[in-house]
Amino acid sequence: MATTRILEGLGRFYIVLLLGFLYLPIIIMAAMSFNASPFYQLPFEWTTDWYASLWQNDQLIAATWNSIEIAVITTLISTVLGSMASLALYRYEFRGKKFLQALLFPPIAIPWLITGTAMLIFFFGVGIGRGLIAILLGHVALALPYVIVVVSARLQTFAPELEEAARSLGANQWQVTMRVTLPWILPGVIAGGLFAFAVSFDQFVVSYFLSTPGQTTLPVEIYAAIRKGFTPEINAVSTIIIVVSMALMLLTARFFKFGGEK
Amino acid sequence: MRMPRLTAFLTATAVFVSAFTLAAQAAEEVHVLNWKGYGADEPWAVANFEKATGFKVVNDFFNSEQEMLTKIRTNPGLYDVVMINAAFNDQAMAGKLIQPIDVSKLSNYADIAKDKAGSPMLNHDGKVYGVPWVWGLTALAINEKSFDKPPTSIAEMWDPAHKGRVIIRDDAVEAVQFGALASGQNINDIKDMEAVKAKLTSLMPQIKTFWSSENDWNQMVASNQIDIGTYWSGSADRAKTHFKLPVSLVIPQEGSVAWLDAFSIPAGSKNVAGAEAFINYMIDPKFYVEWVTKVGAPVSANTKAVDALPEDAFNRKVMGSPDVAKRIQFQAPVTDEQREKYLALWQELKVNVK
Amino acid sequence: MADQLAIGSRRGLRPALPLLLPAYLWLTVAIFLPLSAMVFFSFMTDLPLAGKDWAFTLGNYAAFFSQSLYSTLLFASLRLGLEVTLWCVVIGYPAAYVLAKVLKGRSREAIFLLVILPFWSNGLVRIFSWAMVLREGGILDTALNAVLPFKINIDLMYSYPAVIIGLVHSYVPYMVLTCYLTLQAIDDSLIEAGRSLGASRRQVLWRVIIPLSMPGLIAGSALIFVPVVGSFMEPRILGGRTGTFYGTVIEDQFVAVFNWPLGAALSFILLAVVLIILALAAPVLRRAG
Repeated sequence: MATTRILEGLGRFYIVLLLGFLYLPIIIMAAMSFNASPFYQLPFEWTTDWYASLWQNDQLIAATWNSIEIAVITTLISTVLGSMASLALYRYEFRGKKFLQALLFPPIAIPWLITGTAMLIFFFGVGIGRGLIAILLGHVALALPYVIVVVSARLQTFAPELEEAARSLGANQWQVTMRVTLPWILPGVIAGGLFAFAVSFDQFVVSYFLSTPGQTTLPVEIYAAIRKGFTPEINAVSTIIIVVSMALMLLTARFFKFGGEK
Repeated sequence: MRMPRLTAFLTATAVFVSAFTLAAQAAEEVHVLNWKGYGADEPWAVANFEKATGFKVVNDFFNSEQEMLTKIRTNPGLYDVVMINAAFNDQAMAGKLIQPIDVSKLSNYADIAKDKAGSPMLNHDGKVYGVPWVWGLTALAINEKSFDKPPTSIAEMWDPAHKGRVIIRDDAVEAVQFGALASGQNINDIKDMEAVKAKLTSLMPQIKTFWSSENDWNQMVASNQIDIGTYWSGSADRAKTHFKLPVSLVIPQEGSVAWLDAFSIPAGSKNVAGAEAFINYMIDPKFYVEWVTKVGAPVSANTKAVDALPEDAFNRKVMGSPDVAKRIQFQAPVTDEQREKYLALWQELKVNVK
Repeated sequence: MADQLAIGSRRGLRPALPLLLPAYLWLTVAIFLPLSAMVFFSFMTDLPLAGKDWAFTLGNYAAFFSQSLYSTLLFASLRLGLEVTLWCVVIGYPAAYVLAKVLKGRSREAIFLLVILPFWSNGLVRIFSWAMVLREGGILDTALNAVLPFKINIDLMYSYPAVIIGLVHSYVPYMVLTCYLTLQAIDDSLIEAGRSLGASRRQVLWRVIIPLSMPGLIAGSALIFVPVVGSFMEPRILGGRTGTFYGTVIEDQFVAVFNWPLGAALSFILLAVVLIILALAAPVLRRAG
């Protein structure tokens, strides 16, 4: 028992180390949003000027809202469509299934630069053009493979006998899916959603090709800003986003269980 | 601040609506395509222009000349004004991407230096395809903390004392032309590529990293990580005057690469009158002086604009001196084949240091 | 009988279609059709724009084989992808295990979310922050010198390790997430049963836990390896003069010289190599599991 406790303690310590590694750049990012030098120059000089000028920067704020909107919608659409597809790939055997699964990798493997260029040409050719709708179309497509891969990984731990048992008890397909399968794969679906959000929210290349003046997203604005002088306003907006999402997430964790606790 | 329009998006009709709003562009808008943070998008300048003319300016940006060409190619009719490096004007004209400009509509055009206005790169068949705006140099800049007195030769970059503290731009054409200068050749007619390659190969171990934006350079100097490197004249001036960084420009005795930026009107522009008004405003001395004072800028092609600067201004005193004029070589158009050859060489050099 | 029929209907494409179609239609419109245009371009001598002459050619693909530059870089990128993936497994898997099996209740959910959160921050901002940490006179250098009795000089910036650190930081949450999903699904009683039958901790780990969590490991590895091989932003900024990789060369073809046909051909070669590696690796990994 003692060994178990020591091992568990080590495990907890390890998680703290990992969080330290993950948050090191985030903390620096936040710190630099309160530093006076626009070039991250040290020694540190306290200021809140960057937050004040961020408040005046309508373009950056509008782009931030666009990013949030697009990421939320992308998450919703791709999680639903992706989970459906993973269910089908899990449940049914058919010719060409391996091919469909392999098709998930081109969007991940081909550098986004090429995919973005290809989308630009194609959307332009068929009349969709550029703008927020085009960005949304692209983001969902980029997020879908991630959702499908993640949800499928969770589904592999699912015993098909459970579905059959429910069926034999008279449940129809819909009931089986909603009452038996979905609760089991819910952690996977949520994880897929988190992936989709991240893919969309941090997506720069594809958004860059598909955005128009006035219809841009935050990463596009950030990339354009570094040409001139990357002001810590960018750090300020990123800090606000991290702090707000952290608060939202912790609240969610407080009131809503999704870890698939048994 | 704008609130999210989640619900609007969720309706399928939004797809069509957006397609139409994209097509129906208001006629009184002037769509400008330029580098970000390069004069045309200064908020005060946009406000002044809008107040004076009643047109509304919509800025869009590119991050490389190739991207600029791609943007006009794939968005016919979207842009009214585009800023094109003179060396790319040829390519844009040959691709029928830009239209001739009626310079009689531009009251400030007459004040543009004759050598710039008459540049064969901007004039084709007696028609003007580009209005010279500003020019500048790709020269050297130094971190003042690392030098007691400024160096005078390009050879300083190869000095072992600066090992690991040299920076150059990650751009094949710029790197090869720099190698040409260092090996005493004409940048527009490089005869001895082997000499260029040898020069650059020996430069590689000196290099800390490659820069791609002004911000890179300024951050590196601010954290005292570099001594010397290639830099643009306007950017060096801005780093010194606007950001108060210890940066100064050096125009080496071997010479420097000069470039000329010009405004053109894309073919299919829906607001040619607005475009003309905007270009005329951009070459106006009043705008230029304000730009230099508030932000820092390259040298105006308009002689009256330069004369309006204080006598000791960098852009007037240094850049205008006959001694400098003798040392600079203006960049001529680079063909696609040359560009690919330069890139192949540049990539090979970068792979060899791995 | 009805049950038998239900199981029987799990064969065939028809019942799967309603579930599959929306996702694959979307992918077709937004990715496969555009990419087919790119495949088409990769066989052209020039872009069919502005009345330029073009013809069909295999030259763009031949270029890969005629110049050692490209294969050298492809190997460098594959090695980078492998190293980053391995580091992510080494760092991420234990974390996923602790999350799934040691931590309980609300703290688990909270920490799980904290692990995910960093990858919602902007990639470029993250890279700039790493530059502050890793450079000479940066935060790591200063902190270590403040603690250590002797003077050391740490300048990791613009080097291969910097690229690895930046990429591992960006991708390790992927591994934690996917492994957590499969580890959490393992019934604790299975582990206890193994232990009570006299298996050592190590045996339980290798014989029970790792095999059962294999789908997560495979999914995580694929999601990390594949994009890292084509990455160009992190290598360019963090790698400095040693930051040239296959992805940066493709980027140059698109951005610097406007040679889309060659850039497209290079990326389809990358895709083919990556798919072959995945196809070869998957059965081996599964058997190991």
